[in-house]
Amino acid sequence: MAENNNIIEMQNVGIRYDQGPEVLSDIKLSLKKGSFHFLTGKSGAGKTSLLSMMYLAQKPSRGSMSVFGKNINFTNRDNLASLRRRIGVVFQDFRLLDHLSAFDNVALPLRVCGMDEREIRKRVTELLNWVELDAHMQDTPDTLSGGEKQRIAIARAVINRPELLLADEPTGNVDNFIATKLMKLFVELNKLGTTVVIATHSEKLINDFSYPCLHLQNRSLHIIRPNGYSMLREQNNV
Amino acid sequence: MSRPQYISRKQELPLKGDSTSIFLQVIISISVFIFAITLSGVLSINTMLYNWNQSILGSLTVQIMPINDVNKERATAQTLAHQDKAIELLQTVKGIIKVTPLSNEQLKELIQPWLGDGVNINNLPIPRIIDVKLAADAEIDFADLAQKLAQASPQASLDNHKLWLSKLIDFADGLKLIASTVLILVILITSGAIFYTTQMSLGLHRHIIEILHIMGAKDTYVAQQYGKRMAWLGFCGGLFGMLLAIPTIFFIGSLAVRIEGGIISDATLGLVDWGIIFSLPIFSMLIAMYTAYYTVKRTLQKML
Ligand SMILES: Nc1ncnc2c1ncn2[C@@H]1O[C@H](COP(=O)(O)OP(=O)(O)O)[C@@H](O)[C@H]1O
Ligand SMILES: [Mg+2]
Repeated sequence: MAENNNIIEMQNVGIRYDQGPEVLSDIKLSLKKGSFHFLTGKSGAGKTSLLSMMYLAQKPSRGSMSVFGKNINFTNRDNLASLRRRIGVVFQDFRLLDHLSAFDNVALPLRVCGMDEREIRKRVTELLNWVELDAHMQDTPDTLSGGEKQRIAIARAVINRPELLLADEPTGNVDNFIATKLMKLFVELNKLGTTVVIATHSEKLINDFSYPCLHLQNRSLHIIRPNGYSMLREQNNV
Repeated sequence: MSRPQYISRKQELPLKGDSTSIFLQVIISISVFIFAITLSGVLSINTMLYNWNQSILGSLTVQIMPINDVNKERATAQTLAHQDKAIELLQTVKGIIKVTPLSNEQLKELIQPWLGDGVNINNLPIPRIIDVKLAADAEIDFADLAQKLAQASPQASLDNHKLWLSKLIDFADGLKLIASTVLILVILITSGAIFYTTQMSLGLHRHIIEILHIMGAKDTYVAQQYGKRMAWLGFCGGLFGMLLAIPTIFFIGSLAVRIEGGIISDATLGLVDWGIIFSLPIFSMLIAMYTAYYTVKRTLQKML
């Protein structure tokens, strides 16, 4: 339960939308600091729902959940905001702000926590150079290609050096070459200490990188290791 | 590395594009216009009331009309008897501290400019006058006093001007109450309009606010952007309303001056009053800012 061990803890967590049936039931999960997981499951299995609870956009409808060692049921709004600042998110549909330039989109997480503009300028320029988008710094997302938008979305997710990185099908819209390149970025970040969860459909990705999978099926979570044919199922422990 | 990036920084919430901006500015302009005119009314009624109260404070006079009789001496004696009755009554009234009938010499002095020296007061049918001193905190019901005086002596009457002024003061007090209610209503309606347009705008920009929220923005971060924007709208709307109101106030003032009698000319606005009217745009700015700020904080708690 200590903060330095588990980044996320879920106990008997369930989530439903409005009065509908539970999308996920009795989820039990401990994400260790520095771990790397894929999150798999058919479309509609609840990958986005699970991630959105992790990045604190949705509250579980039942069960208890701790993020960075803080039970979110006993954490006030401002402190929840502070927890969110330690999490980077790449959304399935990017969710960039169309009226803002690439620069301002990437700067968003830094501005939200009130960082000095000079420091912001330095960091954002550096990162946009690194993802090779320095030429498009002042362009708005609608003038950019899908791959470029995606790199902006990822730059925005990592600009604040998050301790937890959650990516929802980040390689969904790009070719294999770029997908592999992105994966290498995530692996690099993981080596620097970031805990990573990536929701994906891609068999190739799962096979190329032998990280454990969190598999969603029939509203529940199964932990699977992609050891060739032996699909090992566990209820607990990664 | 020429210009710092942040100079061209765009707001995350494009509130300038909100179609409700014009609507709000018009509402705020009209509100401040009505507010300024009503307020100038209240302020000038205040000055008027102050002047009137000063003139009825402290003292009053009671007249005893002379009795007519061919026998001058008997007439004078009767008039003085009426005066004594009036004095007797006045001395029982709460709030009256001193009752002094004017002496023959004082009366002579009063009529000297008209009738010259050497007249015999006792042979003239002139009214007698009683000078009445009031306590500083006296609350005299002038209409009631006038009635009691008439009962005590049909010859006695209260100084007309004061009686009339006291009725006018009651009327002005009533007007002031109505005007103050209007002022409060205008503030409530304006903040109501700001409350609803802010809520609408939050719904309109929900997708942006959700992203800011997930990035770790605290509610105050969003609330401040709304506060700033509404402060600007409140100031501009307020300035416009005030600029319209000033010539209108002068116009109403010029109409009032034409009323004879100098009663309304007591109703001028002082320097402080104008100061208050000129600061209305600041006032509307603060109301708009705080209303928006607290609307956002309240709404976000329910929304996200
Ligand atoms: N905002 C929502 N309101 C209602 N139902 C939703 C909402 N989001 C997701 N769902 C439902 O929850 C289930 C899981 O969706 P989701 O978490 O998006 O799955 P995945 O990301 O694996 O495709 C689906 O049946 C979907 O229809
Ligand atoms: Mg999804």
